[in-house]
Amino acid sequence: MIEVRNLQKTFGAVAALRDVSFLAPDGAITGLLGANGAGKSTTLRTICGVLKPGGGEVLVDGVSPAHDPLALQRRVGGLLDHAGLYARFTPRETLTFSGRLHGIPRQRLRDRVDETIDFLGMQTVADRPTGGFSLGERMKTALGRALIHAPRNLVLDEPTSGLDVPSVRSLRLLLQRTRDAGACIVFSSHVLAEVRALCDRVVILAGGRVVAEGTSAELCTRAGVANLEDAFVALTGAQEVAAC
Amino acid sequence: MLTPTLTVAAKELLDGWRDRRAMISAALYCLMGPGVVSMVRLAVPDSHDGQTVLIAMMSVFTLVSAFSGGMNVAMDCIAGERERRSLVPLLMHPATRLDLLLGKWLAVAAFSAGGLALNLLGFALLFHRLPPPLLAACLIPLSLLAAALEILVSTLCRGVKEAHTYLSMLVFLPMMVGMFMVFSPVAGHGLWKFVPVAGQQLLLDAGMRGAKLDSLAMLFLSFGTAILAGMALLIAADRLEQDDVVYGG
Repeated sequence: MIEVRNLQKTFGAVAALRDVSFLAPDGAITGLLGANGAGKSTTLRTICGVLKPGGGEVLVDGVSPAHDPLALQRRVGGLLDHAGLYARFTPRETLTFSGRLHGIPRQRLRDRVDETIDFLGMQTVADRPTGGFSLGERMKTALGRALIHAPRNLVLDEPTSGLDVPSVRSLRLLLQRTRDAGACIVFSSHVLAEVRALCDRVVILAGGRVVAEGTSAELCTRAGVANLEDAFVALTGAQEVAAC
Repeated sequence: MLTPTLTVAAKELLDGWRDRRAMISAALYCLMGPGVVSMVRLAVPDSHDGQTVLIAMMSVFTLVSAFSGGMNVAMDCIAGERERRSLVPLLMHPATRLDLLLGKWLAVAAFSAGGLALNLLGFALLFHRLPPPLLAACLIPLSLLAAALEILVSTLCRGVKEAHTYLSMLVFLPMMVGMFMVFSPVAGHGLWKFVPVAGQQLLLDAGMRGAKLDSLAMLFLSFGTAILAGMALLIAADRLEQDDVVYGG
């Protein structure tokens, strides 16, 4: 479970997050929806412990980094906006390196790497350097790295960006399996069809603030429209007018 | 603390070793000194004065090899990480940024020491004389310092190209210090033997000429060099805590 409370973050004079609060429960996929620059990536990077909040806090499974400085990194698996792989390493080596940094004992790690490779269906490419991989294979390797320590919380920033249709479909099935196993997944996207297909709950961000949250149906009802796209425009448009 | 540091160091060593083109280029750089000195030797009379000139040249090339040995790895392991955007995934692991940085530093220092060893081996074959073991040991802190300075410069750069520009300039530092120590009339006097890089040049020069080495000066020099390396690493670690490292700005 991920709880974000009054999160704020500024970069110089730019306020990326003004006040972001939401709760992402276990066993559900929570979608972060927002236009470019709405604060999705900054929120996710803060949840993963890569950026320090300027104000507010992030609790993961009720634990705050104030008590355990590496709590977020220990409890969250993340795939942020880019795969970021080592071209001379194979997926097996990438997962092993990541697993060691997570402190998984050597014997257990070998089994865990095999399990993850099987889970992602990467047996045929597991021992090939990632430098020559397709985008889909790269994203799968990065997803494997995020899953290697079997985190209860998974954070994904536009994971389907640039993927072809079979890869998107395969990733969607993987996420649904992970969610069904009880994980808390926070997923950001600006592709509404993807959010509608995957997410149990949706949090809409605009201008560094949460402007609405609920299921797709609840958001449509609240906006008084028939589909999520119209709801998104209505809810974020209202926020921008209010901000002016 | 030790496990993440060693894990990162092992990964960087393997990754650096697999980058064969970079390895070959670093090895050639380190062997350039013995190559150049062997050619100059043809024109220098085989006298005491001639040997003194060759050994002075050697000491400058050896200082440079400590910096060039790990340069490619230093460039790749921080600025390269930022450029290929693998730094953010690395920071998502439960290890402090100082731990990660120390791992990278150890790997760069190992390559730097390897370059230094290769250079000394080349000169040993050329002069038919090995440097005294105590002198060789005293050069290890120089590798640590070279690696720390290179890591620091790499954390300040956004990409490999920029890092290459500045690290190439950094390699001039030992060259300039070495040349100054060879040609300056004040070199060898006063406290120069305690100054990192300059002190190692004086030691190399004395050691290869067969002069007696000052153990106390070597101890102070090694200690001072290691402290300077530590300071450079702390600045680099502080730099790694900045938000723009994550955002690549």
